[in-house]
Amino acid sequence: MVVYSFYIFDRHAECIYKRRWLPRPTSTVGKSRSDTVSGAAPTGLGQTVRSTDDDSKLVFGTVFSLRNMVRKLGGEDDNFVSFTTSQYKLHYYETPTNTKFVMLTDLKSPSMRIALQQIYINLFVEYVVKNPLSPTEHPGGVGVNNELFEESLEQFVVRAL
Amino acid sequence: MSSTKTSRIGEETRVDKVNAELVTLTYGTIVAQLCQDYDSNYQDVNKQLDKMGYNIGMRLIEDFLAKSGVGRCANFRETADMIAKVGFKIFLNVTPTVTNWTSDNTQFSLIFEDNPLADFVELPDDGRAQDELWFSNILCGVLRGSLEMVQMQIEAHFVSDVLRGDDTTEMRVSLVRYIEDEMPPEEE
Repeated sequence: MVVYSFYIFDRHAECIYKRRWLPRPTSTVGKSRSDTVSGAAPTGLGQTVRSTDDDSKLVFGTVFSLRNMVRKLGGEDDNFVSFTTSQYKLHYYETPTNTKFVMLTDLKSPSMRIALQQIYINLFVEYVVKNPLSPTEHPGGVGVNNELFEESLEQFVVRAL
Repeated sequence: MSSTKTSRIGEETRVDKVNAELVTLTYGTIVAQLCQDYDSNYQDVNKQLDKMGYNIGMRLIEDFLAKSGVGRCANFRETADMIAKVGFKIFLNVTPTVTNWTSDNTQFSLIFEDNPLADFVELPDDGRAQDELWFSNILCGVLRGSLEMVQMQIEAHFVSDVLRGDDTTEMRVSLVRYIEDEMPPEEE
């Protein structure tokens, strides 16, 4: 399976972390996997940055509305797990603190709910929340983009999935 | 969620052990330092302890959720049970008693039989500390911070403390409101 991108939204509806992995191009099969992944860090210029920004807003709007709809129809405890288009699958996990984890993968991927929960418990809480010197809130992603978190996320996505 | 089930979650959630006296002494040192810094203005010390607790609570709740794996509570009564039997059990290894509910289920008291923060403590004998200092006030802040993160605005304060010579140590917790989901800012 291929992971396309990953987002975290905080309780203030702000995107506090986003990461994009480009799908591995077929022509570079011989290349090592980590090469391809690290080359796809979401640091572009101008247009690229803008479009990832817009992406995250679209993603938030979608999961927010979908979640509210699901709760209206299925009761307060209901939650949506993923949705699929003809191009990708969007996986969703929300904590009781209203932090939302979203991952976009290809269609072949199994449910990522457990994986997203693992990212929350083992990476986000351990490396972001418990870092005593990082702020408690993360406006603009401050404190989330620390080395330990990013590296572990990278490893998690590349190895575990 | 049944009351026995919450007790079980509290018992079973494993935590790495840290020496309890270290925690007690560290906390005592913080309070003592604050009393010094604020020149024994105990109102300010209470306020500062509450603020520190608030910041701790906002982080602690994530650890609590990650460790215990519990979901959202259905009502405030369940929340109270969860705080007493899982939260306090996990982090301080005590289980305060939940009691004195108001009829509208928005206010309750936590009675602490045992308060690890207050071991070895005797309040200063300056004639004021006994009436003004709430030694364990950090706990009020912790509850306020952690419940805010799970969409509940609450108010918490101590109403009695055995350190002051009262019969019990009692904290009063009131639900102010449930916090609505925030919407993303409008595009200009």
